[in-house]
Amino acid sequence: MLKVEELERSYPTPDGIVHAVRGVSFEVEQGSFFTLLGPSGCGKTTTLRCVAGLEQPTHGRITIDNAVVADPANGIFIPAFKRDVGMVFQSYAIWPHMNVLDNVAYPLVVRKPRPSKQEIRDRAMEALRLVGMESLAARSATKLSGGQQQRVAFARAIVRHPKLLLLDEPLSNLDAKLREQMRYELQELVARVAITTLYVTHDQAEALAMSDAVAVMSDGLIAQCGPPRAVYDKPVNEFVAGFLGGANSLGATIADRDGGRGSAVIDGNAGTVNVPLADHIRSGDRVEIVFRPEDAQVTFVPGAAGDQVRASVLRLSFQGGLTESHLKVGDTVVRSMLHPSVVAEPGAEAWIQLNPARCVIFAARPRDQQ
Amino acid sequence: MTQITLAGDIQRAQARAAAKSEGRGDIGLAGWIVIAVASVAALYFILGPLSMLLTAAFRGPQDLLPFEDGAHWTLDNLAAVYLDRNLYRVIIPNTLIFTIGSVMLTFAVAFILAWLVERTDLPWRNAVYTIVLFPLLMPGIVLSITWIFLLAPNTGWINVLLRNVVGGNTGPLNIFTMGGMILAQGIGLVPFVFLLLSAALRSMNPSLEEASNIAGASPLQTILRVTLPVLLPGLLAPLILATLITLEQVETPLVIGFPARVNVFSTRIYFELNPDSDLPAYGKAAAVALLFLVCGILLLLLYNHLIRRAESFVTVTGKGFRPARFALGRWRLPALSFIVVYALFAAVLPGFVLIWASFFGYAFPSFGLLSSISFNGYFDLFNNPRFWLAVSNTFIVALSSASIVTFIGIVLAWTIMRTRLPGRAVLDFVSFLSLGIPAVIAGLASMLLYLSLPIGVYGTVMVLVLAYSYRMAVATRLTRASLMQIHAELEEASSVAGGQWLTTIRRIVLPLLTPSLVASFVLLFIIGFREFTIPAILQSPDNQVLSVMMWQAFQAGKTQQAAALGTMIVLFVIPVIFGLRRFVLARDGKD
Repeated sequence: MLKVEELERSYPTPDGIVHAVRGVSFEVEQGSFFTLLGPSGCGKTTTLRCVAGLEQPTHGRITIDNAVVADPANGIFIPAFKRDVGMVFQSYAIWPHMNVLDNVAYPLVVRKPRPSKQEIRDRAMEALRLVGMESLAARSATKLSGGQQQRVAFARAIVRHPKLLLLDEPLSNLDAKLREQMRYELQELVARVAITTLYVTHDQAEALAMSDAVAVMSDGLIAQCGPPRAVYDKPVNEFVAGFLGGANSLGATIADRDGGRGSAVIDGNAGTVNVPLADHIRSGDRVEIVFRPEDAQVTFVPGAAGDQVRASVLRLSFQGGLTESHLKVGDTVVRSMLHPSVVAEPGAEAWIQLNPARCVIFAARPRDQQ
Repeated sequence: MTQITLAGDIQRAQARAAAKSEGRGDIGLAGWIVIAVASVAALYFILGPLSMLLTAAFRGPQDLLPFEDGAHWTLDNLAAVYLDRNLYRVIIPNTLIFTIGSVMLTFAVAFILAWLVERTDLPWRNAVYTIVLFPLLMPGIVLSITWIFLLAPNTGWINVLLRNVVGGNTGPLNIFTMGGMILAQGIGLVPFVFLLLSAALRSMNPSLEEASNIAGASPLQTILRVTLPVLLPGLLAPLILATLITLEQVETPLVIGFPARVNVFSTRIYFELNPDSDLPAYGKAAAVALLFLVCGILLLLLYNHLIRRAESFVTVTGKGFRPARFALGRWRLPALSFIVVYALFAAVLPGFVLIWASFFGYAFPSFGLLSSISFNGYFDLFNNPRFWLAVSNTFIVALSSASIVTFIGIVLAWTIMRTRLPGRAVLDFVSFLSLGIPAVIAGLASMLLYLSLPIGVYGTVMVLVLAYSYRMAVATRLTRASLMQIHAELEEASSVAGGQWLTTIRRIVLPLLTPSLVASFVLLFIIGFREFTIPAILQSPDNQVLSVMMWQAFQAGKTQQAAALGTMIVLFVIPVIFGLRRFVLARDGKD
């Protein structure tokens, strides 16, 4: 449905050329929800704007529904107003000189040939009904709350049933509580209209909860792309691991390698974990063992099984439904979640039981680069 | 540039939030004394002269001051002014033609320039931005006189040049016409309107246009259906303000309009006070002023309405994506030529003719004349003690009035924003009102007040300081805008930490307000330094300022000395203007 190939976008600025997007490729299937996730400045919004037709790529090709809409090498650039896409802007961009209904009806009003007045009205009202705003159709756009603006922006984006729906951080201007509520609402709306959707966000929870596929971006490139669960469980590098949910990382040295596995000795001889290893890691290599807080089971007596790491309690912080524990392994702090009934004094001995199947091993970066 | 308005809805909401810290138990006696003094002073500076003006309109006979022995209540003044057909056949039509013509010229030129700088891919935009502001260096009175140097029918340089082509003994152009007045006035106001328009163009959220683009609207549809309607109030507001400023102009109508025999409202008042033969007609001048004042206040209210609408249009902006700039393509050369022509007529020629005339007199420049250079214009000036008196008067008046108004402005803004003092809405309204009072009326009203009050300030520099100090709006609005950015909790934290009110103001509020205080002080200083109307009306031998002295030298036919004086005024203003420019640009995030 949407295909982005080798997309590049650079701008000349007074301080030299900025490469915002440096070769991004991905494909979004008909009807699916695809998310570009990354920190600010990673190029995700620029990618979205190139797909929208608001910016011209400097290199690469964008295809929407089998039609090439941007291909600078062949001099092709279809401007946004000819692309049949809907977009919700980060600032919502509700036109302040129109009322709610006029805002939503606009994409139909400017369409050629223009539908009949009755049809425009009916379809705009239908879109407003979808977002639960039909009672406010006559309200001035300057008198809307943040959540209402978002709904109007969404109704406006889908009113002409575009081929592709683009959402540029639509939740980031809302306060925390409203954001959560609107996230569920948005998810439901997108499912109901069944339009292929490209979503941009820096919030990993939004990305994981809403998407069929996620592309984690960093520094103008896609670091990893796949279904949310796969990306969360098997991050390809420490950036992806750290950006998607909290990650613990322990330094270790591979003691001996045997087939696809090897035993990793945690720094300070705090324990040995038998882990699966990639081909390029050899005996004697330094590695980082990365695992999620929920995959670290903490006990206060040594168990019989292997794959244990010795630690000491730094602090426990009771948070109601759970207790977050900070444990020290050598100089490294490991986070994990405990049942709130657990109590322990700082300094107490503890053991972390790791599940090797849920650990990811990266070759360690040289110390001075960290 | 911050827009000057009465409290908008957003501001009200914020003021309400700020006032939650109800009661302000920390102000204390000293604080209330400061607030009381500032409020009374503000009300006095604005309402004192105005109420004397109102009274004078109803007291006669017209050549007596309102409370002189022999004066009594009468409607004669109003009858003399408003039953005079001359008012409806000449003064009002002339004023309308002059004002509408100049404002249209100003607006057309300023809009094209602002649009080129803000929304197109014009090269050297930052340099152009500076060039457009250049004419701000020249006070209106200097600029008007340079137009005479350039376009006087016999000796004006451009006419001399043109006669080489078209022949003839005089003309072909004549500045001493309605068209000449409109040209001089219209060009002179461009920089100010340009500043406001470019700020309005810049404040528009580019997503609004992009959303229209995404919705399937062609670029033309987007301009017609989104860009223009959204910008409309922000563009109309400067238009109204320009109308207000043009309406109150005395310089152009006096310097160019008088020889052209084109009388407008402002000069009518001026000539009632300085008749050729008779005694000053106080009552008649006051009666003319009434209608003038009503027009000013109506325009002001319209302006306020537009600005509030423009403010309600300011939506949340997302990331700082620059709006797409319109590609000029083959229009690039015409666009640059337009800027060159503007710069030529607004800055280069007036500047050159002024400096040239100060060394060589009024003659058309040629290499042959270079040997006849004469520094007499300057020598005469520097050896004239009256010049140095005027220099010190100008600085004293501009500095003192700027300090007084800035100080009162801070206290007023703080009181309006942070307390629940009953009557603070009145303070707000009155200080805003000062924007709608034409300088010629402020001058006249001060004249009536201080001639009547037996406190012996009339004819001194003091009377100018008092008269200038009515311009409260600039200081209050600038301060209030930045006070809004300062959360009331910052002050409460100081209070809780043990600071008394004066300590909090001195150590927390004032340092945080510094940028807006500097801006308002510098702005008021420049306004005061350039002021011509008020000191011309209130002039006496001891309180002459540079602009009035230049006008008198010009009238007495001492062209070279007048040009030297004009050059000196510009030299004095340059450093201040450049300071302000850096300041304004730094705040608008432009370099």
